[in-house]
Amino acid sequence: MTFVLNLLLASTGSLAFAILYNVPRKFYLCAAFTGMAGWFCYYLTVPFTDTAVASFFGAVGVVLVSRIFAVWKKCPITVFLISGIFPLVPGAGVYYTMYYLVSNELTLAAIKGLESLKIAFGIVLGIVFIVTIPKKWFFIQNWRKKDVEKEYIAPSRK
Amino acid sequence: MKEKEEIIEINNGESHRVLELAMEAGRILLRNGAEIFRVEETVWHICEHYGVQGLDTFVLSNGIFITADDGEKTIYAKTKHVPLSGAHLGIVAEVNALSREIVEGKVSVDEAFQRLKKIEQMPRTSKPLQTFASGMGAGSFCYIMGATLTESGIAFCIGVLLHVFLMGVKKYNSSKVIVNILGGAFITVLTLCAINFLPFPLRMDKLISGAIMPLVPGIAFTNAIRDIADSDILSGTVRMVDAVLVFVYIAVGAGTVLSIYNSLMGGMFL
Repeated sequence: MTFVLNLLLASTGSLAFAILYNVPRKFYLCAAFTGMAGWFCYYLTVPFTDTAVASFFGAVGVVLVSRIFAVWKKCPITVFLISGIFPLVPGAGVYYTMYYLVSNELTLAAIKGLESLKIAFGIVLGIVFIVTIPKKWFFIQNWRKKDVEKEYIAPSRK
Repeated sequence: MKEKEEIIEINNGESHRVLELAMEAGRILLRNGAEIFRVEETVWHICEHYGVQGLDTFVLSNGIFITADDGEKTIYAKTKHVPLSGAHLGIVAEVNALSREIVEGKVSVDEAFQRLKKIEQMPRTSKPLQTFASGMGAGSFCYIMGATLTESGIAFCIGVLLHVFLMGVKKYNSSKVIVNILGGAFITVLTLCAINFLPFPLRMDKLISGAIMPLVPGIAFTNAIRDIADSDILSGTVRMVDAVLVFVYIAVGAGTVLSIYNSLMGGMFL
């Protein structure tokens, strides 16, 4: 139940930011789905690893899905990426850092600060990993061509 | 001889117009939160399609430089300052679609100018919807971070009030510093009120970290990373500093209120 609610609210949260950043209405569903996909990856990996590593996987999910949408809908990847990445942003980490700084517990502040920095780096790496994949790979024609070649080669080998 | 000169002049005039078009498209893209490489690509695509040669572009996070020459002399050199401002991803998507159509050869230069003008006047989503969205973002993310449904409901209310408050502040002072510091302070004040005056137990950390979300500079942060990944390090760094500074402003606002509260209550509730 919490799992379903989590996914649902991750998508409504992403949708909210899609609205705030004036994303065209026809892309609302895609933006919501992107956020959900990212949170799904994060939620599945977080019990097994560090939050930073889980954020990495979450970011990978977000960027993959948004690149697929970008090619499919023929529009800039930014439209899906920005609203989709929001569930992963370490808002709580920033809060705790600030809170401990104010209440003069500097060690805890440093721990929380570095933790949110780690999460940010996880997101950065996730984005960089997928963004550097060649554009060609996201076009279906490219894969179809390869399939045709494979089919062509396969019978001759037999 | 005379005829030839005339032709060159006409061509120069034409490429001048094309370059103006490219500059305008680039400016609109950059202003509304596109990445550096998208701006450069759009300028190149437009110029290439209409046959402008000797093009050179240099795009920063807040400025565009375009020059072009016809092999002998410079025919176009212009810089444009584009101040950092609010994002409108709908406009980015529209300009991108327009540049696609230009490359496919469906649009003439004049038509493209008119389309750009129209695109730039694209309305933002209505204010009530934005206000609701601000609340929805705060509430949703509050729950995701492990809060209960009640807390997330209260975060929703805080998010809605925050957006109304921000719209009021932006009317008088558009400075980012003031807006974000006041925003952070406003959230904290509301949260403290909710904790002290509502009859059921609430956790301050969950409430604030959820309600902060509408202030988080998502576009600056994501674009900074994308720019650095595309090795536009300079623009990426500028945008990253912009994003980090916004975080700092929010923390300053929230922190000030918290420390005042702390000293008033003698640290009893913290």
